[in-house]
Amino acid sequence: MTPLAPADLDDAYTRLCHTMTQLGEVQATIFLARLAVLALARADGADAARRLIDDAASDLAPADNAAQ
Amino acid sequence: MQTEFAPYPFTTIHHAATVPRTGAGDVPPRHPVVIVGAGPVGYCSALGLASHGVPVVLIEADDSVCFGSRAICISRRSLEIVERLGALQSFLRIGLPWTGGRSFYRDTEVLHFTMPTDENQKLPPMINLAQYSIEQSLLDAVEARPDLIDMRWQTRVVAIEARDDGARLRLATPSGEYLLDADWLVAADGGRSFVRDALGLKLQGTSYEGRYVIVDILLDSARPTERLAYFDPPCNPGSTVLVHKQPSNVWRIDYQLRDDEDPDAAIEPANVMPRVESLLAMMGETAAWKPIWMGIYKANALTLERYRHGRVLFAGDAAHLVPIFGVRGANSGIDDADNLAWKLAFVVQGLASERLLDSYSDERVAAAHENLRHGTKSTEFMAPPSFAFDLMRRAVLGLAVAHPEVRSLINPRQTSAITYADSSLNAALDASAAVAAGPVPGGVLFECPLTIVNADSVREGHLTDLLGPRFTVLHFVSTVENARQSLDVAGGDGIERVPLRIVRIAPGAPRDAASVDAWDHSGRLFPMYDAAPGTVYLVRPDGHVLARWKDADAATVAAAIGHALGADDSRKTA
Repeated sequence: MTPLAPADLDDAYTRLCHTMTQLGEVQATIFLARLAVLALARADGADAARRLIDDAASDLAPADNAAQ
Repeated sequence: MQTEFAPYPFTTIHHAATVPRTGAGDVPPRHPVVIVGAGPVGYCSALGLASHGVPVVLIEADDSVCFGSRAICISRRSLEIVERLGALQSFLRIGLPWTGGRSFYRDTEVLHFTMPTDENQKLPPMINLAQYSIEQSLLDAVEARPDLIDMRWQTRVVAIEARDDGARLRLATPSGEYLLDADWLVAADGGRSFVRDALGLKLQGTSYEGRYVIVDILLDSARPTERLAYFDPPCNPGSTVLVHKQPSNVWRIDYQLRDDEDPDAAIEPANVMPRVESLLAMMGETAAWKPIWMGIYKANALTLERYRHGRVLFAGDAAHLVPIFGVRGANSGIDDADNLAWKLAFVVQGLASERLLDSYSDERVAAAHENLRHGTKSTEFMAPPSFAFDLMRRAVLGLAVAHPEVRSLINPRQTSAITYADSSLNAALDASAAVAAGPVPGGVLFECPLTIVNADSVREGHLTDLLGPRFTVLHFVSTVENARQSLDVAGGDGIERVPLRIVRIAPGAPRDAASVDAWDHSGRLFPMYDAAPGTVYLVRPDGHVLARWKDADAATVAAAIGHALGADDSRKTA
């Protein structure tokens, strides 16, 4: 997969923000979840998909009641 | 407790009101150009017109240059313009040059950006200079032209009557009112333009809710000059803070208010002082400091639809308000003035049709839209307008630590020179397409060192040194003198009176230095412009390329100038 050029990433980012604004805060989580599923489905192989998930979670602390 | 403020390290000169002697009779004195507003844009407009020999009256309601924290960054493009206006030395002597900046998320650096700069440049990409110094430097240049610039302090426009052939102004001074007629009126009277309101015109676009507090402080620190941005810093969680070093130990701090904060209370010194104190502690700045000035800012992204309304021309904040993030306010205004000055001068002097002034509006409205597009993106990051922008910003900042591929989203998108790609003035686009490198029609010159031959000396300089208040024909020639070195554009049909200079540039030192005007001693200029002997770049007085040819004759170049100036229809109406 070729990474997006900075200007294209910038435009995509802005579009995403505007779309999420229009959908409203209540639907933001499901919107981002759907976006994540589509991104995973289009990932370049299983390793790439796993890396996306791990990278997105990497510096977020697990919840206190998270199952081990 | 009373907060002790320090004064700005700047001596403000207060100017007496200027009231002209009124002439006899009922007819008000008439002037070719009157400029309303002596800010950076008014001064640059006046200096630009004067450089073309056009007399102007410059009107200012106040009695001094501005006070407080306003524009603070001047771009390389603006410095190029200021150089042509004769004020560069003062800008460079006082200003602090810088090339980049750092952004932090919480306590981690997530971006270190640099602005484009290389060995070909003459000027720094940016300098920090407070607006009062910007204005004073320009005012010094204005005061050196009393023959052409009639500066009138403490003179306020109280009424305007727009007419087909100009405008009649009623002006108020401390010692009474008088009338003045102008063939052309330049409205450079700022964001709350009286002229704009008087003509019933409205800015259109978006106003943002997010507010920033702006504080200037006096602090002695050896920290280098760079743009510092702190997102969600430990000293002020949830906020965004910008820090810029100014000359003479002034530091400009901008910090974002939370949506639930009362803006009036927020600029109370009692609320500002602890925030600044905790910021400085976080930065490791331990020296004593004092506040100088405090204010509040709300981002706007607004413009008039057109900048020419008959005989009234709008420039700078009177024409458009762009967000501060990306430093496009004063810089775009200076660009307006530079674009307007030569066109208005040519029209006043009968060298061009009035249509040339429509191209001022077209080009600068297009530039404003580009500035607003970038400024809006910067604002959406710096002052997120919705929960979505806020959430996504947290995501980007958190990921940027480990993922360089997202760091470009944090880049502050600083102002850069704008290309008038769709300008109706651009000529010979087919011929331009055959030139494989160099600035396209509508673009500004790429800077490059070269050796310049003057009447009595040879010196190393830069390409932009060759520009002046005229068209410049960059004629790339051979080192060996031959008949093709000559390009007699000046005699072109219909452009006999147009000020123009032909500059012959050779690829290397010729045997007889006097046979050329410059040569490419670095060997970088010719390839940068895809130039060969015979190549021509036609450059407007504002440094934008009008046309370029791999090979051109004098008649072709003259026709391009004639096209831009509307020579045909000016003759029809003459």
